[in-house]
Amino acid sequence: MQDTGLTDTTFTGGTNARSTAKPSGQPIHPIVAAFSIACFAGAFVTDFVYWRTVAVMWETLSDWLITAGLIIAGVAVIAFVIDLVGRKQVRTPAWPYAVGYALAVLLSLVNAFVHSRDAYTAVVPTGLMLSGLVVVILLFTGWVGSALVYRHRVGVST
Amino acid sequence: MMHAVKIAHSVKRSHLDLLLVAVAGLGLAGCNYEGGDPRKEIGANPPLPALQQYLIPPIHVAKVAAWGKETPTVPEGLQVHALATGFEHPRSLYVLPNGDVLVVESNGPKAPIYRPKDIVTNWVTWLAGAAAKGGNRITLLRANGDGTPELRTTFLDHLNSPFGVALVGNDLYVANTDAIVRYPYQDGQTSITAPGTKLTDLPGGPIDHHWTKSLLASPDGSKLYVGVGSNSNITENGIGAEYERAAVWEVDRASGAHRIFASGLRNPTGLAWEPETHKLWAVVNERDEIGPDLVPDYLTSVQDGAFYGWPYSYYGQHLDPRVQPQRPDLVATAVPPDYALSSHVAPLGVAMYAGTNLPANYRGGAFVSEHGSWDRTPLNGYKVVFVPFSGGKPSGPAQDVVTGFLDANNQARGRPVGLAVDRSGGLLVADDLGDTVWRVSSNDPRSASSN
Repeated sequence: MQDTGLTDTTFTGGTNARSTAKPSGQPIHPIVAAFSIACFAGAFVTDFVYWRTVAVMWETLSDWLITAGLIIAGVAVIAFVIDLVGRKQVRTPAWPYAVGYALAVLLSLVNAFVHSRDAYTAVVPTGLMLSGLVVVILLFTGWVGSALVYRHRVGVST
Repeated sequence: MMHAVKIAHSVKRSHLDLLLVAVAGLGLAGCNYEGGDPRKEIGANPPLPALQQYLIPPIHVAKVAAWGKETPTVPEGLQVHALATGFEHPRSLYVLPNGDVLVVESNGPKAPIYRPKDIVTNWVTWLAGAAAKGGNRITLLRANGDGTPELRTTFLDHLNSPFGVALVGNDLYVANTDAIVRYPYQDGQTSITAPGTKLTDLPGGPIDHHWTKSLLASPDGSKLYVGVGSNSNITENGIGAEYERAAVWEVDRASGAHRIFASGLRNPTGLAWEPETHKLWAVVNERDEIGPDLVPDYLTSVQDGAFYGWPYSYYGQHLDPRVQPQRPDLVATAVPPDYALSSHVAPLGVAMYAGTNLPANYRGGAFVSEHGSWDRTPLNGYKVVFVPFSGGKPSGPAQDVVTGFLDANNQARGRPVGLAVDRSGGLLVADDLGDTVWRVSSNDPRSASSN
């Protein structure tokens, strides 16, 4: 990160600094976060199938999906910090995403503990409800975020 | 931009409320770890509180300390000393007819990681000092006059997580975790090099959650009884993994054929014949993670054909909601065990006392070794208790016999496992944390033999 700072001040400079940074300044954290969201959504599906089949394989899949989602979320947070420090262009209406995502991750952490129980009650009912709630929050967050961008044109230069 | 801030603000607030609820939930889950007085749940028909489900699994292992020059503590009238030390995870003991003592040094096979939780479980096992490598062998001790072994030899080596041993005539049976193997044995022999012959396979890997296979020969020598533990805490590895597990097997010694003698016994780690009625008794480790006072481990007579509840229910018809689909047909037949030892003590050895060295009040009763709890506060077990018997049934509260496995700071110096009564009537205790075999005997010179 020191390098980036040096580059900014050394080779660009003055009022042009921000604009020249833009083409290479795409943030990496949304790409990482997308994978964790896929894991959490997948866990809802496997939880649902476990509830209907009571086949332990699906519960095991849920356990690993939630765990993987949490680990990737940790990487996403690190990526976010790197993006901030590196002054990458963080999308303007970031707060709905950040808050919604943070809540989803926190609930998934609780869900990981619920899923650490043994057998049926690791999923039904609390685990399944939490997995579902996480998906709802992520959908809602996505909708609010994109509404800001596309309907209210927040953070979009005209 | 102002618009965005406004929306974000309201979204944030409603989310914050939810977040607080979640945090409060975490806080609540932190409570209720404290167990009640274990003495209240000893004996027949123990009180069974409502079950609770944890958010954060209860883990409370004793830190590991060393014995140094100290020994366990025994009550007035008894004395204790180390028969031998320096074993590799001594798990069970067997006394041969000539008085030689077999020390089975063993530990379970490496537990596979099927769920993220298994990583934590393995770490806790290591923390408790229970992950030490087992010797996978049997060491023979021959005691001399002063109670210290004059001879110590490797009796059998290269075994596969052995636990139970039984001698019938000249046939010595070793219950590895995956098979019963027969070896030829002659009186006085101090090591066996002959290859073994497999009598029968036993349920082993790849999961092998409860790996110990206790072994007991019938008095006439025609049958072997095998305690086979479940393959999970409570069916989290699927009911298919439990095939012929959580049961006592009856194996025909001639053919190797077996039948399920009794089922629904989650982990029957010790088997013994009650000396008065000659009935089969077992110590059984019950399920975890539904409360500090659930489910009490127990000592019970094992009736032919009986079902004792696991996994569907405990102590008769108390249903476990973690098991689906349930089996009401089986639950209706579930027999409650005879005698609760209190929760999470982990009884791993039982010896019915028919000797004469120890004071008369110990005769005819059962010694039970309690390996000690790992998921309960305060700690429970970590001692050897005595359950008095009368008329073939337990007749009073359990008494502490060998204590001091926990030091004053609640650090574990040892954990008792296998029990045996030696030829001169002393009680032998395998300690798989202190890697020692302790011998408890009478300190009354009139009853104490020179051994």
